Amino acid sequence: MILEKIRESKFKIITSMFGFILAAFIVSLLIGVVTHTTPAAFMESLRDSEILFAIKLSLITSISSTLLCILVSIPAAYSLARYNFWGKSILNTILDMPLALPPLVAGVGLLILFGSTSFGKWLADIGIDFVFTPYGIVIAQFFVNMPFMFRVLRSTFQGINPRYEYVAQTLGSSDAEAFWRVILPMSRNGLAAGAIITWCRGIGEFGAALMIAGATRMKTETLPISLYLNMSCGELPLAIASATILIVISIVSLFLFEKLSGEAKVF
Amino acid sequence: MIRIENISKNLGEFCLDDVSLKVNEGEYLMILGPTGAGKTILLETLAGIYPPDKGSIFLDGVEITRLPPRKRNIGMVYQNYMLFPHLNIEKNICYGLKSRKMSRKDMRTYISRLTDLLGISHLLHRYPGTLSGGEQQRAAIARALVMEPKVLLLDEPLSALDSETRSKLREELRRVHSITRTTMIHVTHSFNEAFLLGTRMAIMNRGKIVQIGEPGEVFRKPNCKFAAEFLGVSNIFPGHAVQQNGASHIDLDGFKIFPAASCDGNVYASIRPEDIIISLDPFESSARNSFSGQITEISDTGLLVNISVDAGIPLLVTVTKKSFVELGLRPGMTVYLTFKATDVHVFENLS
Repeated sequence: MILEKIRESKFKIITSMFGFILAAFIVSLLIGVVTHTTPAAFMESLRDSEILFAIKLSLITSISSTLLCILVSIPAAYSLARYNFWGKSILNTILDMPLALPPLVAGVGLLILFGSTSFGKWLADIGIDFVFTPYGIVIAQFFVNMPFMFRVLRSTFQGINPRYEYVAQTLGSSDAEAFWRVILPMSRNGLAAGAIITWCRGIGEFGAALMIAGATRMKTETLPISLYLNMSCGELPLAIASATILIVISIVSLFLFEKLSGEAKVF
Repeated sequence: MIRIENISKNLGEFCLDDVSLKVNEGEYLMILGPTGAGKTILLETLAGIYPPDKGSIFLDGVEITRLPPRKRNIGMVYQNYMLFPHLNIEKNICYGLKSRKMSRKDMRTYISRLTDLLGISHLLHRYPGTLSGGEQQRAAIARALVMEPKVLLLDEPLSALDSETRSKLREELRRVHSITRTTMIHVTHSFNEAFLLGTRMAIMNRGKIVQIGEPGEVFRKPNCKFAAEFLGVSNIFPGHAVQQNGASHIDLDGFKIFPAASCDGNVYASIRPEDIIISLDPFESSARNSFSGQITEISDTGLLVNISVDAGIPLLVTVTKKSFVELGLRPGMTVYLTFKATDVHVFENLS
């Protein structure tokens, strides 16, 4: 009896050790970045016009791409959660595709689509030029992160009993009105969780944005691009400042996401 | 009045197969059936959630088969209440009134009659998640009734409740029905509910309505083997009916019983266990069927005692606890069984 107990707890100790080692690895890495400069130097970098530009551009592009993701994912996720139609399963697979695609490849694809096709040229002619502009950053973030919003929303909608809509319809609502007045408010936690994860990933987006929008100082310079540019030319304090901001954003987002997604499971 | 004609709907797992039904104004129809019989689809098809594959539905003589739910004015209450969790009880109840362009104050007066009737007026500011099951179901019923529906559909409305709340709410449903005179169609799997609430009851199996009638009549005279078994009639025997000298008897593997009705051919005969008289000695009576047999098993269910007797055929007899004690029945005893010809129910053996 006692021996068995010891054996059991040994196994528990060994398996838990792995968890602790992994956690130590992650935390030491984060602390390493954050403590690489002094607080004074960090505050100094925060006043740098380049960092300020990067923060502003990152916020604008990530918020725009997140709104775009929400706008497109809500109807798409709803239809795939509720209805049955021809081609549904292949549609599901295709919409998840950007998740598996390396961001660099996505970026090359975007560059070709918008840079060298007549569709892209037409868009550029009417004033929506994605190549080497901040618009490119938005479209890159949108493309790469749309599956996150889509998946969170799809599982949120799937988790809501369709009978709520049936009842709303017997109470005089059309299907669109039942969606607007019942399903959407019931999905608010999933919606918020999806928006946060999408936004957080949007702010960190690098590969795809680099390909289509380029890395032009003070033009398409988001926080990750700034980190990359400053790292390559040895401006370490500025690079660390960008990295620290990104770390803080990630930690806060993860915390909020965990809190909100209690009812909206992602994967 | 709602009338459905030859409705079929196939949803894969569940289906409706050529169902026809007429429910009169102010009627309280109970629908009973096992899980998967198609009861819920029937209600949802009436409400307009799915278009039927075949057939038509008429409400007060007007065809509504292709109308969307919002234009039918048919209310729906589900087992799990389906109150909108993000709205408080008042807003839930007023949900359907929003399209009627009433002021908030008018709405409050408008719903107060119903919320008073259902005893939930003090809960209006609460959210559904904070209420008990019974309170939630009252709110759900109020939400449907506030629309003054022509028909109210209830899908096992009492099944998720504890037994005390269930009987209270059952009484309230009866009261609501007698006050509002709303036509109600109520799906259940409880015979009790069917008896206590229904003016008529229908039995469903595999997407079909197999029998419909007054509850007492359906229970006393099941018209097929499924209905008999489903209603818990235990003594069902396949046999062959023979007409002789103007009277019929049924041959159950060499064992003869006498029914009152005249019949012919392959049939099932059933005798309700409570219709059989058990005695220690044979006695002279007008009853046409009398046998002796040995008690094989006794099972005490509390108020009633079920006694299995081997009389050539295995018969189940139900007696009260009092009779059981007074007769001193024990396994292995020889007893006499007597039942009237009018208590023998005969239905055709279609297989």
